[in-house]
Amino acid sequence: MDSTLLALPVLIPWVLAAALALLDGRRPYVGWIAVAGLGAGFTCVLGLTFLVIRGGPVETVAGGWPEGVGITLRADALGVAFAVVSIGVILASLVYEVLGGVRSRTFPALVAFMAAGLTGLFLTGDAFNFYVFFEISMTAAYALTGYREKDHQVRAAFIFAVINLLGSVIFLIGVAALYHVTGSLDMEVIAERASRVQPSSIISIATAVFVAFSLKLGLFPFHFWLPAVYVGSHPPVAAILSGALANIGGYGLLRFGADVLPRELELGTVAVLILGTASIIYGALQAISRHETAEVLAYSAIGQAGYILLALGIGGPVGYAAAVVYAVVNSMNKALLFLAAGTRGPLVGAAFAVGAFSVVGVPPAAGFVGKLAMFRASVEAGSVALTALIFFGGALSFVYVFQIYQRVFWASDEKEKAGPLPTRVLVLLLAGLVLAAGLWPEPLLVLGEAAARVLEDGP
Amino acid sequence: MILLLSLVIAVVFGSGAFLILQRDLFRVVVGIVLISNAANLFIISAGLTRGDPPIRPFPDGATIADPLVQAMALTAIVISSSVAALLLSLVYRLYLAHDSVDIEDVSAAEVREAEALEGDEDVELREDPR
Repeated sequence: MDSTLLALPVLIPWVLAAALALLDGRRPYVGWIAVAGLGAGFTCVLGLTFLVIRGGPVETVAGGWPEGVGITLRADALGVAFAVVSIGVILASLVYEVLGGVRSRTFPALVAFMAAGLTGLFLTGDAFNFYVFFEISMTAAYALTGYREKDHQVRAAFIFAVINLLGSVIFLIGVAALYHVTGSLDMEVIAERASRVQPSSIISIATAVFVAFSLKLGLFPFHFWLPAVYVGSHPPVAAILSGALANIGGYGLLRFGADVLPRELELGTVAVLILGTASIIYGALQAISRHETAEVLAYSAIGQAGYILLALGIGGPVGYAAAVVYAVVNSMNKALLFLAAGTRGPLVGAAFAVGAFSVVGVPPAAGFVGKLAMFRASVEAGSVALTALIFFGGALSFVYVFQIYQRVFWASDEKEKAGPLPTRVLVLLLAGLVLAAGLWPEPLLVLGEAAARVLEDGP
Repeated sequence: MILLLSLVIAVVFGSGAFLILQRDLFRVVVGIVLISNAANLFIISAGLTRGDPPIRPFPDGATIADPLVQAMALTAIVISSSVAALLLSLVYRLYLAHDSVDIEDVSAAEVREAEALEGDEDVELREDPR
């Protein structure tokens, strides 16, 4: 029963995507089939989350192979936390686009492929399998960036593909090197054997893996591709890219940094903290200086990624829990902001304001929970500088999100016609969800703490 | 053998990196293909063992070469070739739109389009007293 539930979230979107690829995605019924299928996948992930929180990690070896030979599928609290939020964001963006009218026959299939890749990589326990799923979701993302096929979107897709392929190759080299050193591809076995060899032989591999995931997440020195891609993309695609796909970076850093190679992460703590700080300040200052909404949100994404890195650098149960909670909240914020910025009309401004408050960390929005976890981690680390930095970063984000609000939603422009009612209702529902997660944060915090326990105990 | 392999990987990766930095988009795609192949070579060299081919039935007492790296390299080759096809189709799409595969030409055409759009907006503003 448990192992079926573990395989279903990967299988459902996969079969769905293969079937959808044959149909014309522009027809509304095809879009709704995709929504129903992804909804079923989302329900399975939710069920799996309950199982994992109640009874600990669920594990199965694919294809009936003996343990140690076959590929392991493993769902622990860290994986399911990221899977739930990513599939949720993808589902919301898909519904948004279907309500607004899909313009390309491949859109639903690509979205389903990406969902399959993402759940696969969050629920796998095998490093090479991780790479394969990661490539599936990335390839779907390259094609999605070019959705609507305007010239600048195709160019953005090309830039995105080239830079991220470079990142994937670096990660692949890292996986091969880990295999060479430890003789295994199973993450638990790698972690166990890597802890017994000299860190000097692994530190270069750890650096390669770190660079690969930083590229995906868009951290400060590796961010250069991100604004060009987010600015060109269609709003639901931008929401998927920054709310779901960027989670690969956060999850990868936590999984490979804190779980598989904890000693190497400890050696690099100073570098991690410095890069996180640089990311927060650079992202916020650039966001303030920009005018276009998508561009501000893109630089904001760079800044928000810095917080996750900071929490990772602080480490310990509190730091890891903060990183997970912040990553989940950040995904929800980004999805809400990109979708709200993509439509107009009554109450859309209110929904955007909820997202804006959440980015800043004002209660009762969910962002408050994330910021609170960050403050707790920095106090635990005993560093006044870090606490001040988190406060300062929050203040800067207040400036840039309300600059957008002022420019876009205050300036009433009669020429702009309101978006269709269903998409507005969807955006409001998302805003309600962000508020609800802020008012009733227990599930989020329990998930964060369970994930931190997974990382802390090690395999 | 190890030195030779590392030299080969370094040269392939280096030429790929050089090509990625070019302005011609086709060269960028070729660069990506070369870099992916450097990674494939790296995978093979990560499990370089001497032994009989790993095909059942195994002869008694024989050492078997590591089959896992072959499987990994095969998967990586499939992925890299399909992604190369996707990249080429993107380049072709840009070529159809701009009649050029030079990134400078493509960007310049986009800037012209953007300016033309802004120009239209200025005209509208001037007509509109608000």
